[in-house]
Amino acid sequence: MTMHRRAFIRGLSAAPLAAGSAGAAGSRVLQVATFPDLDRAAALAVPRFERAHPGVRVRLTVLAYADFPTAMITALAAGANLPDLMGMDREIVGQLADSAGLHDLSAVPFQAGQRSSEVVPFALTAGHSRKGTLTAFPVDIGPGCLFYRSDLLQQAGLQEAELTASWADFIRCGERLKARHNSYLVAHAGDIADVVIRNGLRPGDGVFYSAEGRPLVRAERFEQAFNWAARARRSGIDARVTAWSNEWAEGLRRGRIASQMFGGWFGGHLANWIAPKAAGLWRCAPLPAGNFASWGGSYYAIPRGAREPALAWDFLQVLALDPAQQRTAFTTLDAFPAMTAVHADPLFDQPLPYFGGQRARQLWRDASQRIPAVDADRNDRLARDVIQAALERVLEHGDRISDVLADAERRILRRARISASTAPA
Amino acid sequence: MKPNIALTHALVGAGALVMLTPFWFMFVFATHTNTEILSVPPPLWFGDALWDNLKLLLLRLPSFWHNLGWSLYVALATTALNLFFCALAGHAFALLDFRGRDVLFRALMLTLLLPAFLGMVPTMLVMGWLGWMNEHRALIVPGAVSAMGVFMMRQYIGAAIPREMVEAARLDGCSEFGIFWRLVLPLSWPAMGSLALVVFIGSWNNFISPLIVFRDVENFTLPLALRSLQGTGQTPFGALCAGAAIAVLPLLLLFIVASRRLIEGLTAGAVKQ
Amino acid sequence: MSARQHTPETPRRRWREAFRRVQPYLFVSPFFVLFAVFGLFPMLFSIGLSLHRWDPAAGLSQMQWVGLDNFRYALLDDDWFSQSMRNTLWIALVSGLPQHLVALPLAWWLHTRLRGLRNLVLGLYFLPFITSTVALSLVFTSMFSKDFGIVNTALGHVLGLAPIDWNQPEYTKIMISLVVFWRYVGWNTVLYLSALQTVPRDLLEAAALDGARPWQQFVHVVLPLLKPMAYFAVTLTLIGNLQLFEEPFILTGGTGGIDQGGRTAAMHMYRVAFTEGDFGTASAIAWLLFAVMALATWGNNRLLGERKGSR
Repeated sequence: MTMHRRAFIRGLSAAPLAAGSAGAAGSRVLQVATFPDLDRAAALAVPRFERAHPGVRVRLTVLAYADFPTAMITALAAGANLPDLMGMDREIVGQLADSAGLHDLSAVPFQAGQRSSEVVPFALTAGHSRKGTLTAFPVDIGPGCLFYRSDLLQQAGLQEAELTASWADFIRCGERLKARHNSYLVAHAGDIADVVIRNGLRPGDGVFYSAEGRPLVRAERFEQAFNWAARARRSGIDARVTAWSNEWAEGLRRGRIASQMFGGWFGGHLANWIAPKAAGLWRCAPLPAGNFASWGGSYYAIPRGAREPALAWDFLQVLALDPAQQRTAFTTLDAFPAMTAVHADPLFDQPLPYFGGQRARQLWRDASQRIPAVDADRNDRLARDVIQAALERVLEHGDRISDVLADAERRILRRARISASTAPA
Repeated sequence: MKPNIALTHALVGAGALVMLTPFWFMFVFATHTNTEILSVPPPLWFGDALWDNLKLLLLRLPSFWHNLGWSLYVALATTALNLFFCALAGHAFALLDFRGRDVLFRALMLTLLLPAFLGMVPTMLVMGWLGWMNEHRALIVPGAVSAMGVFMMRQYIGAAIPREMVEAARLDGCSEFGIFWRLVLPLSWPAMGSLALVVFIGSWNNFISPLIVFRDVENFTLPLALRSLQGTGQTPFGALCAGAAIAVLPLLLLFIVASRRLIEGLTAGAVKQ
Repeated sequence: MSARQHTPETPRRRWREAFRRVQPYLFVSPFFVLFAVFGLFPMLFSIGLSLHRWDPAAGLSQMQWVGLDNFRYALLDDDWFSQSMRNTLWIALVSGLPQHLVALPLAWWLHTRLRGLRNLVLGLYFLPFITSTVALSLVFTSMFSKDFGIVNTALGHVLGLAPIDWNQPEYTKIMISLVVFWRYVGWNTVLYLSALQTVPRDLLEAAALDGARPWQQFVHVVLPLLKPMAYFAVTLTLIGNLQLFEEPFILTGGTGGIDQGGRTAAMHMYRVAFTEGDFGTASAIAWLLFAVMALATWGNNRLLGERKGSR
C-alpha cells in the first residue's frame, strides 16, 4: 500500500470521529472510572445527575475487571490520568484505601462522616485506611447466604435446618446427598474454609491481619477452617471445581453440585444463565453454623488528582445515598443496596419466583445486619494467595494443618513485611 | 516414496486443522448464548444467536465501530513510521561505518530483554509530562521504533544488498539518503513486508499501552474496548466472541494480501540471484 | 568511474566531509531520540526502582531506599520466584524447541512440495499468531475443560487417554506449552519460508545432479544457508519465551494455577508489582530475568550467530 493510500484511509477514519468530539467545549466533564457491571449502575444515575447539574457531562470509563486495578494503580503511581471518581471492588479496596493519593472523605469539604451512619456498618469499615481516614465509600454489598437445591435435599430426606445447624451436620448431609443422588454438596472444599475464617474475629481485626498489620493465620479459626475443609474433602462431598469454570456452571445446572455459598447477587446469575430451567428448585438459607460473610461489594473513592472533586462527591452521593438510585440498581442489576434506609422498602418483602416464592431478600437483609465488620488490609490479596496455596497443600497432599499454617505465617511475614514498611507516613 | 509423501501431506493437513480449531470455536461461540457456551460439552456447531449477540455487542459497546477505526488508524500510522525509521536505522547499522556502531547496536538489542509492563509507570509519567494522555499519538510515537525492527532490517540489508552497488552509487555522487531511498528501500521489500505484518499485528492486538493512555471509551482501540465487556457481572461471552471475530478479519485480509505479495517478492529476489 | 574532482572552495568540501561523517548518526538519531525517551528512561527508572521499596498505589513520593535488599529477597527468600524461573525455563524449552523443529521441515515442505495450496496452508498455520487474547482465554478454557473439552475428547479417541484435569499443576505447564507452540509455530514457518526463498535454485540442482537425495540436500545445502534466519528466529523465541506472560496469564486466570504450576517469571513479576504492591522487588526480578535472557542470547550468538569475516 502506498503512502498516499494510507494517508487517505487515515483521513477517512478520523473524519467521523472528529465530528463526535465537537460540542463538548465549555461544559465541565466528570470522569468516572468503573468496570462491568458497576458501570451499568453508574449509567443509571447519569441522566438525572446531568439534568440536576446543567453544563456537566459525566463520562464513564469502563475497563475490564481484570485490567481495572492495573490501570488505577498505575495512574495512582504516576499521579497522571486519574479519574474524578474511582470505583473499586471489595477485592482491591484494601490495597487502594491506604493510598496517599485518595482524598479523605470524612474531611472538609466532603464531610462524609455526617452521612456514614446511613450505610451498613460492616461495609464502611473496609473503606477506611490504616490511619483511620475514610477513603472509599460503599455503594453496594454482597450479603452471603447458602443457595441450595431444595428438591435434591428433600429427596434425600433432609431438612434445611439439618443442613445449617453446624458444619459437622453440613458435611453429614453432604454424605447423605452423595449416597442418594451422587451429587456433591459443595463445588470446592475451600468454599467452607472461606466462610469459617471470616467468623470469630476479634473486634478491630481483619481476616488475615490484626489492626497493627500482624498476620493472624495461626488463629483458631484458621485451624478450624482448614479442618472442616479437609473433612469435607475426605468425605468426598466436594466436586473439586473452581467457581466460574465450565464444569462448575454445568454442575450447578444439572444438580450435580447441590449448593453454593455466595452473595445475594448470585441469585441473578442462577436465574439468568447458570440454571434458568431450574426455576423453583433453588432456595436460600442462612450460612451454616451461624456464620456470616459477604462476597463482593463496590466502593468509590476520589483521587487527590481529580479535577472536579466537589462534583465527584455529588455524584457519589447520588450513587450511594439516593434511595431511588439504590432501589433501581437493586432491581435491575442485583446490586444489593448499602444504604440501610432502602432496606425498609416493601420490595424486600416480595416473593421471588425463581426461589419458589421465597422472600429471599429478607434473608439477605438480615444477613447484612449481622455480618461482622472486617477491616481490609493492603496486603489482603497477598495473604489470600498464600492461604490458598496452603489449603491446597492440605487438600491435595494431606500435609499437616499446623505445619502448613506456620509456614504460611512465615511466608506472609516475609512477603508482607517488605510491603509493610512502605506504609504512607 | 509415494505413501510417505501422502502421509506427510496428511500430517500437514491435520496440523493445519489443529491450528484452526480455536478459531473455529471463537466463531462458533459468537453464535451462541452464555448458557450454551459455558456448558459441558461446549457447542461444536453454529447456533442461532449471532444476531442477538451482535445487537448486544453494539448495545454494550456503542463505540465499537469507532474503536475499530481507531485501531486501524493507529496500526497503519505506527506501521508506516516504524518501517521508515527501522529501515533507516538498519541501513546505517548495516552499510555505514561509524564510531560506536557496534556498541549502539548491542545497547539496542538489550532493550529487547525488558518486559513491557515494567515500563508502564515511567511511560505514564512521560505521557503526563508531554500532555499526550488520551491521545493516539501516545501509542503511535513509541511504537514508531522497535529494536526488533532494526534488528530485522539490519540482518536483511546486510545480507541482501550488494556492497558493490552501494559503493558504486556513492562514487557516483549519490547522497546517502538517496541511496537509501532509491536503492536500499526497493530492494528490502521482502523484509519490510514481514516487518510491516508484525508491527501491524502487534499494534492491533496491543492493549497494555491503551490501558494506560485512554479514559474515554470512544478513543479505545479494539482489544481494550472488547475487554471492557469482561467484568464481575455477566460477561456477554457470545457478544465478545462476535466482536473478536470481527476484529480478526482485517488482520486476515492483511495477511492474505501481504503473503501473496511477500512470497512473490521473495521469489523474484531468488530468481534474480 | 569519475576522477576525484578538486573543488576550489575548501570550506565547502570540509562541510561536505563533516556532513558525510555525521550522516550515519543522523540516520539513527530519530530512533535513538525516541529510544531515549521511551526505552532508556523506563529502563533507568526500573534500575532505580529495583533499589527502592515502593508501593505504587501510595504514589511517587513514597519510595524508600533499600539498596540491594530486593535482590537478596528475590534470590534467597522468594521461593515463588525460583519456582517461576523453573517453570519459565521448562516451558521455554518444551514449547520453543518444537516450534523450530516443526517449522523448519514444514517450511521446506511448503517450499518444495506445495505450490498451489501453499498460501492457504501457510495462512492457516499463521492464523494463531494474529489472534488477540481477548476471546482466546474463553476458547481455550473451554477446549481444555476436563469433562468434554475437545482436547480431552481428541486424546481419548486417538490415544485412549482418560480425561486429564489440565488445572492440576503437573499438567498446567504442558497446557501452556501447547498453546505457546500453537501460537508461534506459524510465525517461525513464515520466517523460514522467506529465508528459503533466498536459497539459489542452481545450488540445489547441482547437489541433485551429484546424486544427493532431497533429505541430504536439505541437511547439507539448505540448513547452513538458513543459519542467519535461524539465529534471528531463535533469538526471538528465546526472548519471547523467557518473558512469557500472556498465554499463562489467560490460561490460569491470572493466578498462576494451583501450586503456582503455571506461574512464569513475568507473571510472578506482575503479581508482585500489582497484587502484592511491591514494585521494587518486581523491578529487581525483571533485572534478574534480564540477566538470564542476556546469557541465553549470548549462548545463542555463539551457537548460531555470524562469525566476523565469515560472510
